[in-house]
Parts: sequence; structure tokens; C-alpha cells
Amino acid sequence: MLIQYILILATVLLVIFFLRHHGTTRAGAMVKLGFALFLVFGVVAVIAPDQVSHLASLVGVGRGTDLVLYFLVVAFGFATINTYLRFKELELRYARLARAVALRSAESPEPSDPENDGTLH
Amino acid sequence: MGDQRDVWLVVPVYNEAPVIAEVVSEVRKTFPNVVCVDDGSRDRSDDQIRNSGAHLVRHPVNLGQGAALQTGIEYARAQPGAQYFVTFDADGQHQVQDVERMIQRLRNEPVDIVLGTRFHETTENIPFIKRFVLKTVVMLSPALRKLKLTDAHNGLRVFNRTVAENMNITLNGMGHASQIVEMIAREDWRVAEEPVTILYTEYSMAKGQSLINGVNILFDSLLRTNARR
Repeated sequence: MLIQYILILATVLLVIFFLRHHGTTRAGAMVKLGFALFLVFGVVAVIAPDQVSHLASLVGVGRGTDLVLYFLVVAFGFATINTYLRFKELELRYARLARAVALRSAESPEPSDPENDGTLH
Repeated sequence: MGDQRDVWLVVPVYNEAPVIAEVVSEVRKTFPNVVCVDDGSRDRSDDQIRNSGAHLVRHPVNLGQGAALQTGIEYARAQPGAQYFVTFDADGQHQVQDVERMIQRLRNEPVDIVLGTRFHETTENIPFIKRFVLKTVVMLSPALRKLKLTDAHNGLRVFNRTVAENMNITLNGMGHASQIVEMIAREDWRVAEEPVTILYTEYSMAKGQSLINGVNILFDSLLRTNARR
């Protein structure tokens, strides 16, 4: 069925796109556009369910609701990956911040045995 | 043995208060320069480190072993006279003699980094499941196969300034081991392996990373992006 190809292809393309361009301005804009499109699709599905059913039968899905569900699953997957990557990036920044603090307050050992503290004074 | 003042040991520490002082004092008989990175321990490991004669760098919060290694390397490479760097586990499973041999190779042979490996000749002392998982990791990693390395997740590594200057571990957790291997492949560092002995003490077995963690490592490595780091 057509829908299978569409869903699999969409998923694969989106994953590749995300992993290659995550964090760029362009990727951010694409995500917002995709989200807007998804909302529009949702509104249309509510206003004109018949049209969605028609579209569904075109791509080989039984009912319009099923089509909406399929797209929802893909959208959810992407929202999850997006959040995961965002968290990773934040974690890295946070680590760098903590590292800077740690390095500033580093403690050298007591200079009680100077011949053994190792550094070349 | 010769002067080892140009060698710095980086020891990531997370809740190792019962053993860390002993491990550090043992190591300092040979290598005077030790920096312990306390990764936000909650068991007063920092007090033990203060009394052990090691330098102490303290993460204000727990960040993970990869982050601790990076912090320690950044600290060590800023110290005057530092030429050689060692990553060493805090739980006492690594041997000082192994480090000495690896440093010796780094001084005398044209290599940039020497990695410890558990897979030379006898592997009987490694628990079976652990052996199986580690072997599988090697088979699955293209970088490891390319470099003909046998052990990806050995915490014992010795490297020179070139490597230390360019070391940039961004995976905070346990994924750093694979990331270091990828760095070696990408930067064309000359790499060698040295057979080392790991003491699987009861303490280190209880603390050691669980095999489940392999799933986390795999996931982190697969879902890395090319975003600016």
C-alpha cells in the first residue's frame, strides 16, 4: 500500500535530516514549519473528515481517523527525538559550565612535602 | 626508575571514599602527579582525596565519567611540564606496573596513545558475560575494526600532549570510550595496545558498570549529531 511507503520514507528522511542538521537555524525553522503543517492537517481533519477519509482511501488506508493516527505516530516520534537531542545539547553546555567552575576552584595538595608534590616549580 | 614528573594521572572519582586514598598513595609512589576529579560524590570522597596528596578538582554536580575525564585532562594539560597523560580508574583495578610499561613505550616508540587491553593471551580472569559483551562491541564498531583494536572499554590509557590538547570528550556518560576510539580514527593518532591486568576485586565488581549500560552507550553513540560542539 502507498501509505506504507510514505510513512517509512518520511521517517527515514526525517531521522537523517535531524541527525545531520540538528541545532542549525534552518533545522529549527523546518521543525516549526512541519509542526504548523501538522496543525493545519489536524484542523482540516476536524472540519472536513470526509476529505480526510477520501485522502486516506487514496493512499490505501481504511479510514480518515487511521490516517490521522499514523501521522500522529510519526510526529510524536520526531518530537521525542527532537527533545532528546535538545537535552543532550543542554547537558553538554551544563557540563562545560560545571567544568569551568570546577577548574577555577581546583585544590593543589598541601605543599608540606615540596620535593614530592611533583610540579616543576 | 626514572623521573616521572612529566606524567599526570587523571582519576575520575565517583563515590569511591573507601578505596581512593589507598589507590592514590599507591600510585604516587611512582607517579607524583595525580589529579582526582571528584564527580559530585556524596560520600566525602573529596576529604579522602585532600589527604592523599593528589590534586582535587570537584564537579559541583554529578556529570558522568566522560565529563570527569575531560575535566581532569584539561586540568592536567594546563600544568607546567606535563608531557604524558594517563587515565586511571579509581577503584584500584589497574596496576601501576602496567602504566610504567605504557609510559615507557610512549617515550621510546613512535606512538601517540597506548591503550590497555584485556584480550591478550589469557582471558580467563575476565568474567564470561563481560568477555562476550566486550567482544561483541568490538565486532560492531567500524572504528575499532579499522584500527585493529581488541578492547574498547578499558579505562587505562596513556597518551602524549598532542592527544591531550585535542581531546574533546562530549559524551558525558559512559559513551566516552567509543568516542575516544573514534577520535583516534579521525585524527590519525598513532595507536598501540598494551596487555594489562585488571584486578576484578569484589569492590570493583560491585561498582563496575553494568552490562545494561551497554544499551545506553550504544544509544548515545548512534544518536550523535553533527551539530557544532
